[in-house]
Amino acid sequence: MKKILATLAIVLCFVGTALAQDELSFERKQAIDSLALEKVRDLSKYIKIAGSKDTPFSEANRVIDRAEELFMSDAEIGVSSLSSNTITYYRVRKYFEHLMRLNYDRVEIEWYNIEYVSDLQRQPDGTYVGVITIFQTFRGYDAEGNLEYKDTTKKDITVYVKRKETQIGGRTIGFWDVLLGDMRVKETSNR
Amino acid sequence: MKNRITTVIMVLLAVFVTLGGTTSCKSKKQLAKEAAEAEYKSRVEQAVKDLNAILDDETLWTLEEKEARVQTIKDWNLQNAEVDDLLFQVEKKLARERAQKEEEERNKNQQVEQKSVNETLESNFGSIARAGSTSQANRLINETLGLFESANTPVLIIIKQNAGFNDYDRPTTIENYLNYVKDQKKATEKIFDIKYNANGKINELELIKK
Repeated sequence: MKKILATLAIVLCFVGTALAQDELSFERKQAIDSLALEKVRDLSKYIKIAGSKDTPFSEANRVIDRAEELFMSDAEIGVSSLSSNTITYYRVRKYFEHLMRLNYDRVEIEWYNIEYVSDLQRQPDGTYVGVITIFQTFRGYDAEGNLEYKDTTKKDITVYVKRKETQIGGRTIGFWDVLLGDMRVKETSNR
Repeated sequence: MKNRITTVIMVLLAVFVTLGGTTSCKSKKQLAKEAAEAEYKSRVEQAVKDLNAILDDETLWTLEEKEARVQTIKDWNLQNAEVDDLLFQVEKKLARERAQKEEEERNKNQQVEQKSVNETLESNFGSIARAGSTSQANRLINETLGLFESANTPVLIIIKQNAGFNDYDRPTTIENYLNYVKDQKKATEKIFDIKYNANGKINELELIKK
């Protein structure tokens, strides 16, 4: 019995140490929280650039490439409309192509109140997963500059942050890879 | 008889003058020789003193002044074993000092150049972020890319420094980073480290979040 207890104590000690090593300090956690938020803000800028009718096609394509790199390969973006109850989900590139084809002469897209609704939590595989919510106001104008359509959509974006390593200049670099998952529409209003 | 006496006196006078002149000549040569010996001795003493002072770092002379002093001593061509031995040691010491000084100057010049590159890069990042048009930003991007080995030069961005190690964002390339600055209209990183290739082009850039 004593042997079993001693073994158990040693095992618990090792597990405890391993868990302690995996725990991030407050400052490091804060840094990756900010990094993930920054990636979402970056995405908002890419959507704005690609959606703008003033953006040259080559620039828009380049921006779509960058935006795609922010997402997991199978991620989808939800699109809603005041005229329909249906939410359509597009793969990232398809979403951007849809955005560029919108039948307005000018569009304005603003993201605001970008914040965590669910903090990054460490999963058993070491990935940190959280949910960031954003509010998006979309405005579409005709050739005369009249507002044709406006809506505000609340969307939730799942973010995945994983520690990875790569070789650069003969040394191993440990980095935090932030990837965005699905962007789900939560509500749409005419505000 | 009177004539003979006069002749004898004249001869004696001539002999006396001749002998006297010869003695005087010998005395001058002796003096010159003694003066030369004294000067040689003085130069040897001075050379030994100066060379020892240089060896023991007991002078306030600059490296150039020390080298000039050694050259003067060599020009004296003293052919003195002690001086030659000291010259050999001093020349070795000054060669080391010269190499060290040149190395320091090279490092100093490199630091000045790197500081200049840092300032240029950070200034270009700011200009790209503030560019009034896409074409202006693209022109600045192309200009900046000229400082790098290639458009694919890796760029590392430190998001947090922790007790001895760094947390990085996903590595990118300089072309993508510059376009990122253009798209996001912000340059929120400052230069942490720059690595150069043999041609003086940047082959790795490390940035840190401000």
